Amino acid sequence: MGSLRNLLYYSFFLTYFLCVRCDDFKEELYIKPLPPTHLYSYFQFVTLVNSELSSFHSHLAPRSLAEVVSRFQVEELHLTLTEGQWRHHQWGYPVLDAAPGAELYAWFSPDVVDVDTQWKKLSATLSGLFCASLNFIDNFNTVTPQMALWPTGAVKSSQNITTQLRYASLPREIVCTENLTPWKKLLPCESSRGFSALLNSRMIHNTNYHSIGVHVRKVCKSNDCLETQLEFKQTVALVYDYDIISSNDWSFRKLFGQGLPGACPLSSDSKIYVDVTSNDTQSFTLTPPPDNVIVSQRGGSDTKLAVYNINPDGQMINIGVKYKSKPDLPVSVPPPLHFTRYILGYGKEFGGIVTEITNNLWTSINVVVLENAPWWLPIQLSSLRINGEAESSLVQSQYYSPGRSRQKPYHLELLMTLPPKSTTTITIDFEFVFLKWQEYPPDANHGFYVGSALISANLPTARNYTSVPITGSTFDSFVNASKTWYPIVFRTNGAMVSLPTPDFSMPYNVICLACTVVALAFGPLHNICTKELVLKPLGTPVSLTQKLLNLFKKKKD
Amino acid sequence: MPGKTESGVRRIINGNPDVGSVKWVKILKKVHGPLCFLCYVGALVWFVMLGNKEFNNETYFSENALLPGLVTNEFNGENAAKQFYSELLREMEDKYEDLDDMPVPWLVGKMSQLHLEVYTHNFTLNYPMGQGQVFQGTNVYGILRAPRTSSLEALVVTAPYRALSTHQKGTAAGIALMLAFAKFARPQKYWAKDIIFLVTEHEQLGMQAWLEAYHGLQSDAETFHTSLGSFWKPGSPNLDFGSYFPGFSWEGDHKKCLNPGKLKGRSGSIQAAINLEFSTPKIKYIEVKIEGLNGQLPNLDLVNLVHKLCLKSGIHHSYRNSYSWMRGRNKMDEWTNSFKTMFDMVLSQIDGVPDGNHGLFHRFGIEAVTLEGRDAQDPAGTAPRAHALSTANFYRLGVALESILRSLNNLLERFHQSYFFYLLAATHRFISIGQYMPSLCLLCVAMLIRALSLWVTTIQQDGDDEADKQASKQTNKPKPEKEKDSDAEELGDQKSEEVKKVPKAKRKKKVDDLSMSVVNIGANYLLVHLIGYAVMNSPFILSYIGNYYDKPSEYSVYYGLIAISVFLTILTPFMPRFFRKGRITYEELSLVNILVLIELSTVCLSVGMNNFSLGFVIAVVYTPLALMCSVVVLGAGKKSAFYLMIKRLVCLLVHPLVAVSLSMIVYSSFLFPEEGFLGMLSRGSDAAMQATMFSIVDSMIYGNWLFNLSTAVILPIWIIFWQILSIKVAAP
Repeated sequence: MGSLRNLLYYSFFLTYFLCVRCDDFKEELYIKPLPPTHLYSYFQFVTLVNSELSSFHSHLAPRSLAEVVSRFQVEELHLTLTEGQWRHHQWGYPVLDAAPGAELYAWFSPDVVDVDTQWKKLSATLSGLFCASLNFIDNFNTVTPQMALWPTGAVKSSQNITTQLRYASLPREIVCTENLTPWKKLLPCESSRGFSALLNSRMIHNTNYHSIGVHVRKVCKSNDCLETQLEFKQTVALVYDYDIISSNDWSFRKLFGQGLPGACPLSSDSKIYVDVTSNDTQSFTLTPPPDNVIVSQRGGSDTKLAVYNINPDGQMINIGVKYKSKPDLPVSVPPPLHFTRYILGYGKEFGGIVTEITNNLWTSINVVVLENAPWWLPIQLSSLRINGEAESSLVQSQYYSPGRSRQKPYHLELLMTLPPKSTTTITIDFEFVFLKWQEYPPDANHGFYVGSALISANLPTARNYTSVPITGSTFDSFVNASKTWYPIVFRTNGAMVSLPTPDFSMPYNVICLACTVVALAFGPLHNICTKELVLKPLGTPVSLTQKLLNLFKKKKD
Repeated sequence: MPGKTESGVRRIINGNPDVGSVKWVKILKKVHGPLCFLCYVGALVWFVMLGNKEFNNETYFSENALLPGLVTNEFNGENAAKQFYSELLREMEDKYEDLDDMPVPWLVGKMSQLHLEVYTHNFTLNYPMGQGQVFQGTNVYGILRAPRTSSLEALVVTAPYRALSTHQKGTAAGIALMLAFAKFARPQKYWAKDIIFLVTEHEQLGMQAWLEAYHGLQSDAETFHTSLGSFWKPGSPNLDFGSYFPGFSWEGDHKKCLNPGKLKGRSGSIQAAINLEFSTPKIKYIEVKIEGLNGQLPNLDLVNLVHKLCLKSGIHHSYRNSYSWMRGRNKMDEWTNSFKTMFDMVLSQIDGVPDGNHGLFHRFGIEAVTLEGRDAQDPAGTAPRAHALSTANFYRLGVALESILRSLNNLLERFHQSYFFYLLAATHRFISIGQYMPSLCLLCVAMLIRALSLWVTTIQQDGDDEADKQASKQTNKPKPEKEKDSDAEELGDQKSEEVKKVPKAKRKKKVDDLSMSVVNIGANYLLVHLIGYAVMNSPFILSYIGNYYDKPSEYSVYYGLIAISVFLTILTPFMPRFFRKGRITYEELSLVNILVLIELSTVCLSVGMNNFSLGFVIAVVYTPLALMCSVVVLGAGKKSAFYLMIKRLVCLLVHPLVAVSLSMIVYSSFLFPEEGFLGMLSRGSDAAMQATMFSIVDSMIYGNWLFNLSTAVILPIWIIFWQILSIKVAAP
């Protein structure tokens, strides 16, 4: 026992003294053309901190975030702020998917007893940190996913993780530069040096899709996983449209408004990966030529990656692509699994939400679908139909938690097996409800947002799969990482419904009228109450000199 | 004590037994005839006055977010549009000269080249009548995804495809303009809503199928119980007629009729739609068409927007008889023009048939208008002084379309301000629901006054009879009502005391032959309405029988309906006898008369709330009959027999089927004045046949009310009027 304590003691001191060296910061940029018209660029800034304690004294990790994590005893945290919709069936899969608007989910440590309070505190703190309306997260829009989400970090196998998980999304959140600025401040080089210098808010808000994210998790230090490290990963995903940047040939200058001024001097590794797989079909030249080209064979698909190692020498680098011929229209092959979600029906009485999932593979795929409807959109389990059937053999397991008015959202999870080469339609009906008049948001007739559904799948193939394996954190681990399953969590598109909305201009008119009446009544009443009526003698003639004197008196005043 | 209970019942029926002597009742009884007439005339005068400038308003923008015309126009797709136009025409001439099909590959290719998300949509129509023909069609649509949005809202630009062989004007220029606009709009980064570019086939059918598919009303979506036009809910008992008639398929089900198919790609909720119908870019002016299904109208803000932005882009525009380049010289001229425009709008709204593809959007809560390009010599009519106008071109049309769509793009909320119920008196003047409703209300008030006066007369009659007898016995006692009107209450007390004095035996006898049996009347009333419902569903059976004898379904349905009408006209007067032994009494028939008056006025008002024109026209046609109609008494004089003949003739003339046929004959005599009388008749009856068939098919495919309303509601009301006029009862 004593020796163990000694060991702990020493290791603690050792880490304490060595932490300056053992902190690690890496920056990566991954660029992938999404034919025919889009270009995906994904920034990833990974900071590894030896342990939780040392993160306060780290010179690389963002202290504000580290404090939040340790204060609220967060095991794992994912926050994304997204504008736009990732189009899975056209673009394939992103490295990390994100729901439109703001999305936050976190696992708390098993020591936390009152998870809901901690969750509210966490969201309020993050709201201040990122200038986002995360403080609107409350019990009525928070769910605890049972099957759809699993931690990506290291957790003890005995631990009950689902009870410590909270998930919320705010689809109405609008993401802007005010969110990007605090996000950039968390980076060691901020925006002065390194890849983050490219994140010029004027340019990145001109994209078709942009998503910024912060992901904190615990990773194993070694293979036996006796010790864990804290990993802070900050990501930016941008999708450019060739039509909007008005040419197919892209370069850093065109995309980001400037070249890359070298790597961040604090980073141990700065790499740029450009997916050049499509060079075989549509040849283009990459300037400057890459340092090396690696071929990755993963799950039955070959990917060619051009790699640039960037040095912190401060030299301007402008990587660009020039197509040799005018590109013809390639037929885009849809990814193995794609989906769409829409609202059924019209009118203000009933409606339905449909989630259509298409499996393009020759094997069946297991997925978990999480439908999450706000309390004002009551969905009834009795109306759930899968391919039009109430009792479907596709459903392996089902979880339903009915909502409660103004307190709890409706939450449905289905574990399903999608048959090969098929489209599965999940339909669930809802009724429209009347809200109280104060519950309507501004621009009430704009419509109400229904958040995206989560679909988590274990894909048997890595076609269109770009995610980094769960054990790795950088794109190095991407190469030749064949596994039996490729887990991924997708977000479907959201939807908008228009609830029965009263004519708000009528109360306004009434208020105007009432105010006018009150104002008209107030003046005379005030006069009567405050002024004294004094009799003034009439008819005393004023002489001319008096008049003149009066005139001067007034002027004097 | 049977006598006592009966008198209690009568008290309840009569309400206040003293009502007959209240002052206003007496006045009402005296003046109700002229008052009703005055109301009727007043309603018509009010309606005519609506055309006057003093009675209608200048249009204005209610929705500030539209910000019309604030952007600098950048449209530069004139050459592209010209090229698309010539390529499309060449494609149609080369490959689709004799075909009705749409050049789907060409459209898909062009839209893909513009980097839109392109999808095709197949639909099937199982024609509900006749031999069960099956029609198929394809729509092509491309979605421009707005950057940085999650596709929650969308705008639609649509153009119907018309083959070269069609007798209608083509729409090639509209499609070319749409494609050129798509090319211009695709690289812009300011779009906040997706834009769907849609080319539909088979006119309104394709549009309806696309809209139904977009809103997920598939034929197999049985969980969704608010599917179009079906009142059946899962779990409720379902009457399956198919089991009673083996071999007869019940095609009345809307779901089986139009199979909208499925859409592969979608955007968000559609906020507004613009339908383009341009046969050539060299048009003189644009006609803005607004009338939709069942007379539904788009939000007035959208209509204003289109007119104002046409004006700004230098394109002449019109609405019916109102032309932007023609402004009245004097007040009278303006009034007649406004009235003509308004009246034309009312006429076109009656049948509830949309006058363009935009009309089908309204039912789904989407505001939509059609822009139709017109030449100086247009099939729809010649506009005055249109030759002198400058000719439009693709550039100006594109600029107009750009500014309209950018204005719609500014919208934060869906259209909810401004007016949804209005009449247009000119392109820039409108009549709101508050201004036109009084004319309809006056008509209904006339009917209600008539009902009220009937009610007070009937309830007074049985009270009065006895009172009169009493009075005649006590001749020496003068009637107190002549002395003083003010103390009516005292008088009533006196009277009721008098009534009590009547010997019981005498009164019991009277009660026996009065016997106001509500059940008997109610049964008759219900049965008549059930007949109406049966007639509404009869076309399937009629066309089925027609098929059996190899007749086209138009013939079988039209002549079948005539046969049914004749049969009903002869039979229904005898119907009240089925339920009772003795003759129907005066009181019972009066009560029926009152009921039918209330029903008719309610129907007119409620229809008028949704489709003013239809409600108004029904009220205008049926109010004279309703005011004329009264219970016929046996043994009246020759003069009254003559009046009765006239009343019956009027009643027959306003029978729904007769009215339709007559109006068609009159209409065809307007269209072809050179025809002889017989030719006119045959033309008119042919037109009526077609109209009937169209209304039936429209009701099945699109959910048009007209046929259902006229058979299930108007026909029963007519039958009851006919019963009242045909049955003679003993005088009270």
